[in-house]
Amino acid sequence: MEVKTFKGGAHVPHYKSYTENKPITRLSLPQEVIIPLLQCLGEPCEPLVKAGDKVKIGQKIGDSKEFFSAPVHASISGIVKAIEKRTVPSGGEDDCIVILADDGPQEFEMKQVRDPENVDLEIYRKCVREGGLVGMGGAALPTHIQTKHDDGVNTLLLNGAECEPFLTCDHRLMLEKTEALVKGAELKMKSIGAQRTLFGVEVNKPDAIKAINELIKDREDMEVVPLAVKYPQGFKSHLIKAATGRDVPRGARSAQLGCIVRNVGTTVAALEAYVYDKPMIERIVTVSGPKVARPGNYLVRIGTPASHILKECGMEEIENHKLVLGGPMTGLAQPHLEVPIVKCTTGVIILPPEMTREWMDYTDCVRCGKCVDHCPMMLYPNQISIWAEKDMYDEAEKGDLMDCIECGICSYICPAARPIVHWVQRAKPEIKKRQRSRK
Amino acid sequence: MSYDQKLVLSPAPHLKAKDTVSSAMFDVIYALMPVTLVSVVLFRYYAVLLIAVCLVTAVLTELLFRKILNKPVTLHDGSAIVTGLLVALLFGPGTPWWTAALATFIAIGLAKELMGGLGWNRFNPALFGRVAVILIYPLFYNVTAAFASLRPYFGPIDTISQATPLAMLMQGADLLPLSHLFFAYAGGSLSETSALAILVGGIFLIYKKHISWHMPAAIIGAVFIMAMVMGENPLYHILAGGVMIGAFFMATDWVTSPITLKGKVIFGVAIGVLLMLFRVLLAPTEGMAFSILLMNAFVPMIDRVTRRPSFSEPKEKTVPLLKRPGVRKPPVHGVGR
Ligand code: SF4
Ligand code: SF4
Repeated sequence: MEVKTFKGGAHVPHYKSYTENKPITRLSLPQEVIIPLLQCLGEPCEPLVKAGDKVKIGQKIGDSKEFFSAPVHASISGIVKAIEKRTVPSGGEDDCIVILADDGPQEFEMKQVRDPENVDLEIYRKCVREGGLVGMGGAALPTHIQTKHDDGVNTLLLNGAECEPFLTCDHRLMLEKTEALVKGAELKMKSIGAQRTLFGVEVNKPDAIKAINELIKDREDMEVVPLAVKYPQGFKSHLIKAATGRDVPRGARSAQLGCIVRNVGTTVAALEAYVYDKPMIERIVTVSGPKVARPGNYLVRIGTPASHILKECGMEEIENHKLVLGGPMTGLAQPHLEVPIVKCTTGVIILPPEMTREWMDYTDCVRCGKCVDHCPMMLYPNQISIWAEKDMYDEAEKGDLMDCIECGICSYICPAARPIVHWVQRAKPEIKKRQRSRK
Repeated sequence: MSYDQKLVLSPAPHLKAKDTVSSAMFDVIYALMPVTLVSVVLFRYYAVLLIAVCLVTAVLTELLFRKILNKPVTLHDGSAIVTGLLVALLFGPGTPWWTAALATFIAIGLAKELMGGLGWNRFNPALFGRVAVILIYPLFYNVTAAFASLRPYFGPIDTISQATPLAMLMQGADLLPLSHLFFAYAGGSLSETSALAILVGGIFLIYKKHISWHMPAAIIGAVFIMAMVMGENPLYHILAGGVMIGAFFMATDWVTSPITLKGKVIFGVAIGVLLMLFRVLLAPTEGMAFSILLMNAFVPMIDRVTRRPSFSEPKEKTVPLLKRPGVRKPPVHGVGR
């Protein structure tokens, strides 16, 4: 098997054994769901309901006229309790629609309304938009903005790398919903006018690779690309580089790159949106951590508070632990348990005190070169960290700070424990402001 | 209920590799143990005294300067101990202890703390201290004489310590068998007693990923080739004198060597070449210290010329996706339209 990869990057411990053999199971319904009006990289929705309204599962409850936006839906049937500020996983507080469950139907009816063999691309695109689909791997870009036919794009690249430690939701999905995945890929391929599909999967998921290969062995237009197990293999530009050999210059458009990258979960969700008219009301979430009694891959309704999930998984006492939504390399630590799962939440990870990286005392850079060796963007995190720490934004900008993908390797590996990514995140908006004012 | 629990909040990434500056420093100390032991076995109390004096001076100097500069004490990072030990290993057993103490004081006080502390120093502190006392030695001539009575006597030094191998080479004396130099030979400085012991320590550091093998290989390779070109005995030049300790422990110092692999190789080759020129044209000993310090000064320049472009920097030409060799399946046309 020819294994592909990119230069740089690091081997971060996987911690995947907690959940990689746990089949996807349905989690019990929460009493209350919290649906943030902004769940994508774009504009927030306007609420379409008001407090006291009765809503049905799957009903659209928020939408926006903006192109860069995706509607949100009720993930349970119930009564709108309030539209108010709640803590959201992306940090801080934001407008959310809070729904209290009632005795209405709580299962979405999976009734086939369209035939996937006979796809009407216009309707497909509309379904993706109306279903509120966003990238489920973490980026949360509205999916519908990339469903049009684009001449330069001949390859659909499906991202099943799942390089973040702990996470196994994509792995299980590729294994258990292989058929839907291949069907979904075919639909997607047609809609963007691509001629082939590559499934990029890290080789630590041999069962998933085998399952997909089994299904596509007679197809000329689909292929699995086995990828080396290395973080951040699943980041878009590095996936493209590894799978296709293409360089990914800054600001490159899909047409230039010849390919579009899609998360495997989103691909299946898009198929379901077309065939069953099913909006994004639930997703697979990996709940994991060394102390979690029942770790697993759970089908969870969007808006389910973390407290409910942890109760179901046998982990209620988490004083002094760290609750991370997403993967441990890029996910955000949450201030309390009443934060909802959103469309792009890949995992609920509980790190016990001995594993957490607290605000360690950091020191000056000792120029060990480890961050430089491992930075997948070929940057100089050591210099960038010194500039960003001291607010030397012009130097940082010249040092290509804006190219940083915030993968976290430099901070992970730095023996001086410098919080490099944190400084980068602080510097980025400032540099952007300067760039804008220069124009 | 669930609002009350105190959770840990800190920015991503939430995982951290185990290595810290102090664990790396202590690994260096472990790596220096073999040669330290060999030197103690060969030079007995003379070695013990030098090492003890340098370690104590290192710790006291660091405390003193941190106090004066009003900075937090960072003894736990182990770098003062590493520097102290390295300074001691750079001297021969007959060195007066105050010379070694002065060298340590200069290494830690001037070359490290006054330059901004660990990470900001431009020159390898231990070598800087060593070379500084060579250069200012004439000033201290009288002091040395006055202090002479303070030297402890542990037995006649000439019976334990023999001539420096490099001096023998230059004086045209009979050369030592290489195997002596490789395993153990009681001549020269403490660190020059056994190439094997240094090699063991160096391999440990490479295994621990604190240094990469490229730089020692570049230095030793350059010395080898230069010696051949200049008509010298290459193995003798590698095993005698400071090449081994310099290649594995001094040039590879994180703070004072280039940051990228490419830079490290350039740096190493330059050191090897300079060393041989120094030894053959100028003086038989101390060539390693001077070459490394000289190259330390060029590190920012090396870093600049070896600077690599960002991953997102647009390349001159891009290879068309479908014609690339290595993409196995040919494109299939007419699907899906
Ligand atoms: S500088 Fe950015 S891209 Fe490079 S390792 Fe650090 S976080 Fe990753
Ligand atoms: S890993 Fe940390 S100490 Fe090492 S060069 Fe990078 S910033 Fe400096």
